Parts: sequence; structure tokens; C-alpha cells
Amino acid sequence: MVAHLLRLRFRLLLNGFTRSTWTLVSTVIGAAWGLFVLVGLVIGMIALSFTEPLWVWTVSVIAGAAAVLGWIVIPLLLRGMDQSLSVEKLRIFPLPPRRLLVALLVVGLLGVPGLVTLVAGLSTTLSWIGEPVALIAAPFAAVLGVATCVTASRAFESVGASLAAGRRYREVMGVLVFVPLILLGPIIGIAGSSIATLSEDLPGIARGVSWTPLGAAWSIPGDLALERPLEALAKAGIAVATLAVLLLLWRHSLATLLVTPARTSSGSGSAKGLGPFAWYPATPTGAVAARTTVYWMRDPRYGGSLIMLPLLAVIAVFLAFTGSDWFLSALGPIIAATLAITLCAEVSYDGTAFASHLSSGVSGVADRAGRVVTLGLIAVPLVVVATVVPLLVLGRGDEIPALLGIGLGLLLTGFGVSSIASARFLLPVPAAGESPFKTPPGSTFTSQLGMYAAWLVVFGLAAPELALGIAAVVTGNVILGVAALVVGIVLGTVFMLVGIRQGGALLERRGPELLASLMQARGA
Amino acid sequence: MTDAAPDSVVPDPAVPETLAPSPGSAPPIAVPALEIRGLRKAFGAKVAVDGLDLTVPTGSFYGLVGPNGAGKTTTLSMATGLLRPDAGTIHILGTDVWRDTVKAKSLVGVLSDGIALFDRLTGEQLITYHGLLHGMDRETVAQRTGELLDLLDLRSAGGTLVVDYSAGMTKKIALGAALVHAPRLLVLDEPFESVDPVSAANIRDLLAGYVHGGGTVIVSSHSMDLVQRMCDHVAIIGSGRQLAAGTTDEVRAGSTLEDRFVELVGGRHHSEGPSWLRTS
Repeated sequence: MVAHLLRLRFRLLLNGFTRSTWTLVSTVIGAAWGLFVLVGLVIGMIALSFTEPLWVWTVSVIAGAAAVLGWIVIPLLLRGMDQSLSVEKLRIFPLPPRRLLVALLVVGLLGVPGLVTLVAGLSTTLSWIGEPVALIAAPFAAVLGVATCVTASRAFESVGASLAAGRRYREVMGVLVFVPLILLGPIIGIAGSSIATLSEDLPGIARGVSWTPLGAAWSIPGDLALERPLEALAKAGIAVATLAVLLLLWRHSLATLLVTPARTSSGSGSAKGLGPFAWYPATPTGAVAARTTVYWMRDPRYGGSLIMLPLLAVIAVFLAFTGSDWFLSALGPIIAATLAITLCAEVSYDGTAFASHLSSGVSGVADRAGRVVTLGLIAVPLVVVATVVPLLVLGRGDEIPALLGIGLGLLLTGFGVSSIASARFLLPVPAAGESPFKTPPGSTFTSQLGMYAAWLVVFGLAAPELALGIAAVVTGNVILGVAALVVGIVLGTVFMLVGIRQGGALLERRGPELLASLMQARGA
Repeated sequence: MTDAAPDSVVPDPAVPETLAPSPGSAPPIAVPALEIRGLRKAFGAKVAVDGLDLTVPTGSFYGLVGPNGAGKTTTLSMATGLLRPDAGTIHILGTDVWRDTVKAKSLVGVLSDGIALFDRLTGEQLITYHGLLHGMDRETVAQRTGELLDLLDLRSAGGTLVVDYSAGMTKKIALGAALVHAPRLLVLDEPFESVDPVSAANIRDLLAGYVHGGGTVIVSSHSMDLVQRMCDHVAIIGSGRQLAAGTTDEVRAGSTLEDRFVELVGGRHHSEGPSWLRTS
């Protein structure tokens, strides 16, 4: 059966090639890239054998741990990347879980990533040419490590699959897995800034990692070479135990998956009563506000945009600790600028469901105002807190009026501008239920341009409070700051009201045309 | 209810008063519920609706049938103010749909085919939302939402998100959303697709009661049998034009509606399929 599944796996791969030449091209490029990396690795490992054993050990532990982590995280990120042998498809066949586990393990090892990892792992042997004991232990440790990679990947995927049957879980995960990716930029920046000290810390880091399930297997030959046989034995124990636990976990979830039919998450997404519909006044505007509130809570495309905000705060705090606090003190206005044009995508998010607004003949102003109310309830407190708290902590309370003026001015002006923009332009957005970070088809240059244009208009219209606020901060003049606050709120409110009115009128005029392009965008 | 004979639309006492259109403000019978004259719509080079005329009398249960791509959905979208026509006039109960859009929309309830709902709302929230969008007060909305959920057998699913509904339940909740503001004219595009027989019978009863109370229903459907049994009037359209219209008996002219449809539309192949497909 193992051979059978393996043959099926390669048959599916080959058939994929015949279906699209692009699959073939991308596989060839991928294989060439893998080969290139492999050759580089092998050469690197040989070069490493000329350095001290401590460095060989450090590199192999950290690289090995990274490989295990990669095997776990990447399939979760690229869900559906290779589902050709997913358990759901194999469920209909009479397969005992134990044999299926062996078969899937071999299939995983003999795939392109598995082979690359295996060769790379075995190549660590080359670095131990000068150390006979380690040289003998290295291949076994490498096989143990690679087996851990594949098993961990499969086990987590399988456990995830049994959880992922619920739509809510999928939606939350779809957002959460992108947090590390978004943070990757700052992390690299921070790591780059302290790279000099990092190279001295590496052996220490490796030492810690080598005691974890991630790095234990990769540490064994190094420990032997560094004459720490007891540690080597302990780590061999950790590595074998890890593999055993992962296998048990995987086998358990496989057995569950094989007998659990794909279930619909009935009941998981239920709510008692009317929720937000009972909170807002019973008017068309209140109804739209209630509906968008529900969507902010339930639709990851809305909440997904908010995930940037805590990350901005984290980056700001970090930068403040490393010496420059300008980002932290300007956090409120920065968040305001980010949120100001969120509404631009609202009608696009509605999709063809926008037809229910159109067929009910609800006034355009009510539609616009309802959406602004919800975002305002979320955004205004956020901007106020993000302005006031950091400035108080930094002991620069006198700058609060100026920066609050800038923040609220940008936000309110943005509400107005995006109320008009979203009645005018449609943005290509992921459809309801898709990953909020998916790049939708037709993400054209012009629509991006429209978004930036809206932003420019916001900054242009907010110029008075921007100028006053900056002048207040630079000169330290509190009266100028209060002026910025007043101008920001008054002018922003005016722009917001004008935007709601104009946007509403535009929406009533262009409603059918908007719906037609929404239907076209969905291929309906 | 068992299937009734073509013209005997039986009133259903289960339909609550609140959902029936108020007879007091009914216009004289002379004003048709829907009147379309010279309607035209082209998408690029493709003409979807080509000079269509259609008159739907008030109080009729009107079936709109036609082959795929005949322009049914396009026509109904234009009639309900969702799609701007290139030419022609549409009046709902005497109100020009594209002149006095808001008033026309308050008179009509729409169930569109292939259009999404706000499906992250629960069933109860969705009907409430549609009611509030029409500017109704909270008490009326709450009362009608409850009655509609009962009528459509969705009471137990009222707290479930619409996205988790089956296809048939989604159709039913969309129908509920179309009914909540007690429209005078109901425009239903493929209302019975993927609805189970019991629910379909319940919906037919509901619609029959609605018509009996003075309302007008237009349904588009592919099911000739259903239209022949359910509707008192029918129009056959093909290639964006009206091919036949009138009472169901007039149109079918002694034959079945299906035979008459095939005769008018054409395109029927007369072959028995390849010989290898015969098993004997």
C-alpha cells in the first residue's frame, strides 16, 4: 500500500504537469532552486568542517531547528498547497490508520521538500570529517531530525484539519498566521541592527535551542565532538521522545479524521437574539450601523485590518526603547491615518449583497452614515487612547491637544473622503469567506492608485490642522496646539458631513452601476 | 396542501393579516401591477432584452418562463430598479420605476437569483435588517420577523448564521427578507430552486394566500409543470422578446405548457441518443 500511495502521489504530480504548462515551469524552477540551495548547503557544510567544532554545532542546531519550525509553519500558512493526498480524500478507502501513517510518512519524505531536507540533513555529516565519533553519529541524528520534520508537519496539519472543520476556526487562523509575517519586517530590522552582538550570542541561543524538541536531534553529533557524551545521550532521549509523541499524536488524529465525516459547523455560528440590532436605534441608519458592527465582529476581512494596530503599537514601543520615541508619540495620528480610508472598501466588501440596500430603496445618506457610525465608534476611542496614553507615559502631556487635533482631523476627514470614494470606485477585495490576505483577481494598478489618491486628498484637506499641530509641537506652544484641536474637530466634522451627503447622493445616482460592476467582479 | 388544479388558487388562513397588502389603498383594477413597454438592454454587443413588452395584471400569479439566457433575470432586475435599462419604460402600480425609484421600491419585494445576502447575519437579524432598511419601526419588524420565521419553518434556525444555511434554507430566508415590508408586488427569480418539496408546498401556499389578499406575484422558473399548476397567467420570453402571454389556459391552448414552450422556443433535438447508450 505504501508503494501504491507513493505511485499515486507521483502520478498526480505528473498529471498536474499535463494540465498546465505553468505548473511544469514553476516545478522546474522550484527544483532548480532547490538544487541550487542544496549545492550551496553541501559546499557550506564542507567549508564548515574547517572551523571549530563549536561553530559547526551552533550552525547545525540553529539551522536544524529552523527546518523543523519551517516544516510545521509553512503548510499551515499555505493551506491547500499540496492537498493531493489529504486524509479527506483517502477517507472513503478502507485503510488502517497505522499503515496509512507509514505510507504518508514515506510519501512526505520522498516529496521534493522531503528529499531536499534529507540531503541537507545528511550533508551535516560532511562538517564532522575531522571528528570521527561525531562523523558516525551524524547520519543517524540527521535521519532522526528529518523524520521529526516530516512527522511534526503531518501531525500539526492533521490536528489542524480536525479543528479546521469549523468555519470560525478557519477564519481566525487565516488572520493569526499572518501576524508573524507582518512582524517579520521589524524583526529583521531589529536583528540587522544588532547583528554584531548577535554573532556572539549565537552559541548561547543554540545551547538553549538544543534542549528543545526542535533542536535536540541536530545537537547530538556536536555534543559528542565537544566531549559532552551525557548531554548527547540526554538529547538523543529528547529527540526520540519527541518523535514518539508526534507519531502518537498524528496517529490519534488520523484515526479520528478517518472516521469523522466532514462536518458542517452548524451551531458554532449561532447567536441568540438580535445582537447589535437591539443596540442601535430602529432607523435605516441604525440598521446599517448594526449590520456593519456584526460584520466587524464576524467577518475577518473587517477585523483583519485592525490587526495592524497592535502591531504598530508594538513596533512603536520597541523603537521607543531603542532610543527614538517619535513613532510612539505620533502613534495616534498614524493610527488615524491608517483607519481613515478603511471605509473605501466597504461597498466592495458587501459584494452583490449590496443589492439588498438597492432594492430596499434606503437613502444613500443613511447607508453612508451607518457605516461611518460603526467605524467612528471603533476608531475615535482608539485614536484618542493611542494619542493620550503614550504622550502621558513619555511625560509630554503638553503635546496632547496638537497631536489629538491632527489625529481626529485626519480621521474625520477620512470618513468624509472615503464615503465619497467608496460610492465612486470599487476596490478588488477578497470575497466573503476568503482569506482576508488573499490578493484578489484584478488588483489593478488603477484601483491602488485610487486608494492613494483618496489618502492624498485626506492629507490635503487636513492641511490646516496638520500645519497648526506640527507648528505647536515644534515651537512647544500649547495655544497653537489647542487651535489645532479645535480646527481639526470642526473642519473634520464639516468634511465628514459633506462627504456623507455627497457620497449618499452619488450612491443613489450610481447604485445600479455599482451593483453591475460588483456582479461583474464576482463573475455573476 | 395537495397540488391544486391550475386555476383554483386556494386561500390559506395561515397567512397573517400583517403580510397581506392592505386592500384599502389598492388602486383601481385598471392599473397593472407591472407594465413594461419597449424594454431594451444590451451588454456590449450582446442584446439581452430586445424591445420587451409585458403587462402583469394586479392580483395575478404570473409565471415568466423562457430558455436559459432568454433575458428573464435581466428583465426582472430592471423591473425592480437593480439594473438601469437602455430604453423603455417600467411602471409598478402606476409608478415609474426609474423616475420615482424610492416609491417604486417600497411597493415591490425582490428575491434575486445569484445575488448574495448579508450572510454573516443570523436569519432573524437578516429579516430584521431588511425591515429596518425599509424604515419600519422596531415593534412591527419584530412581530413580522417572528411570523415569517414560523411560516418558513426557520424558527429553530433563526439564530444560525445564514452562511451556514443549506441552499434551500437560504432561498427561504431570502423570501422572508423580500416579504417583510408587505410589498404590493413580489418579484421572485427562481424561488423554488433547491427547495425541498414540503417547503416548496408551504411557500406556494404562502404565495397563494398573498395573491388572494390582493397582492401580485411574478415568478420566473424553469419548471413548466410548476408554473402551469401554480400560475394563473404566464408569459413565454425568448431572445429578449415576448413570444406569448396571457392566462395560463390561453397560452397553453389545450396542450401542456411544456409542449407549447418547446413549440414556441424551438431548439428541440429529435434523436434517441447514440446506439451504445441503449442497454437492450
